Amino acid sequence: MNIQHHPSDAWLLDFACGNLPPLFDQIIKAHVDVCPVCKEVVKDAERLGGELLNAFGQSHSIPVEMCHEKYGDISHTSYDASRAESTGHVADLEKLVSTYLDSSFNALPWKSFGEGLKLCRLIKEDNVQMWMLRGQPGVTLPVHSHKGSELTLVMKGAYFCGSQIFQAGDIEEADETVEHQPVITSGGECICLAVTEGQLEFKKVLPRIVQKFVGI
Amino acid sequence: MLAQQEVLRSNKMGNIIKLTPSGKPDTSVARAEETRLLVDVRDNASTESFDKFFGIFTPKLVAWVTSRGCAMGEAESVVQDVMVSAWSRAKSFDSSKASARTWIYTLARNRMIDLYRSGTRRAAAHEEVGTLAETMEPMQDEPQKDLARNQVIDAVETLPAEQRDVIFKVYFEGRSHREIAEELDLPLGTVKSRARLGFQKLRKSFKDSI
Ligand SMILES: [Zn+2]
Repeated sequence: MNIQHHPSDAWLLDFACGNLPPLFDQIIKAHVDVCPVCKEVVKDAERLGGELLNAFGQSHSIPVEMCHEKYGDISHTSYDASRAESTGHVADLEKLVSTYLDSSFNALPWKSFGEGLKLCRLIKEDNVQMWMLRGQPGVTLPVHSHKGSELTLVMKGAYFCGSQIFQAGDIEEADETVEHQPVITSGGECICLAVTEGQLEFKKVLPRIVQKFVGI
Repeated sequence: MLAQQEVLRSNKMGNIIKLTPSGKPDTSVARAEETRLLVDVRDNASTESFDKFFGIFTPKLVAWVTSRGCAMGEAESVVQDVMVSAWSRAKSFDSSKASARTWIYTLARNRMIDLYRSGTRRAAAHEEVGTLAETMEPMQDEPQKDLARNQVIDAVETLPAEQRDVIFKVYFEGRSHREIAEELDLPLGTVKSRARLGFQKLRKSFKDSI
């Protein structure tokens, strides 16, 4: 995999500090899992976290007894640290893709968004939503802007945005200052996972009407 | 000379957080000692070492969790959870990959993410944290002989104020760059570049020492 586009340090710092809303946390994690470059950055950010934690003045202690009773039955403790584990080993994008693109992929509630383009909303939490896009070669997405942050992770295929190309593993960042119009390359079907804050804003009327039905 | 200088910051509740570098620069025995304790817990299930480890980190963790918006009572239970998982997951500690303090930091961070998922973080962040200022007061008289600790504060203090503030908010207040942009009424791009520049400098200054 040849990853060219990474999330900015601000995103990776927020990720390493646990500051991100859950859906943004998940999509950054999906990228970090397959990107050795970002994995290094996150490792350093965590290292810095450990040092800064240590810089806190000694203050309030919890009596150790409070924990003694608990850690007696250590072997039965179940604490979910799966996140720490999974950022620790090299996963590959295909694995991630397969969790979404398994046999049930076609059974997802895909909605047509013009010819050769399908969208599917996976989760909505507060005003943040995670969705998938499936575009056929050469398809142009309607021009749109954003009301908040947006991260797009390419899972399969590629698209152009202006002069840049985004391929499998790449992350594209957008926000309210960005207006863009991705074009799927002629190479093949393109599948992306995206997390968007707020509703997308389409410039033209037709996509706006369709949007009401798709719910993006 | 930084040794006697106190670093004051006010957190989002308007309370003062005090970082207190103290003691003379020494070798960074502290980090090695923490790691030794954790390795002893890992290999020998030593409760004695765990108690020491516990004594070193619970006050720091309570302070950290509180600065991120947990109310006092809740902070204790969060840190208790972190420590229970430190004990039960000690086997996964690899000292060649991370120092003990980084390891415990990631456990605490993960716990905060779980809270975020369950919605507790936001609820807690809106509560009053009246006792925070007192909480941050150093209680131990014993001087900390830990060069690394001073180096960290030194490096953070030499950052331009605007970068330092962003780094501080990200790490100690748990605010995302977007929340910071809203709070300071700055363009998102400005906050992103301050975070990047600040982090790059800190990253560089720690490369050799950690
Ligand atoms: Zn990357």
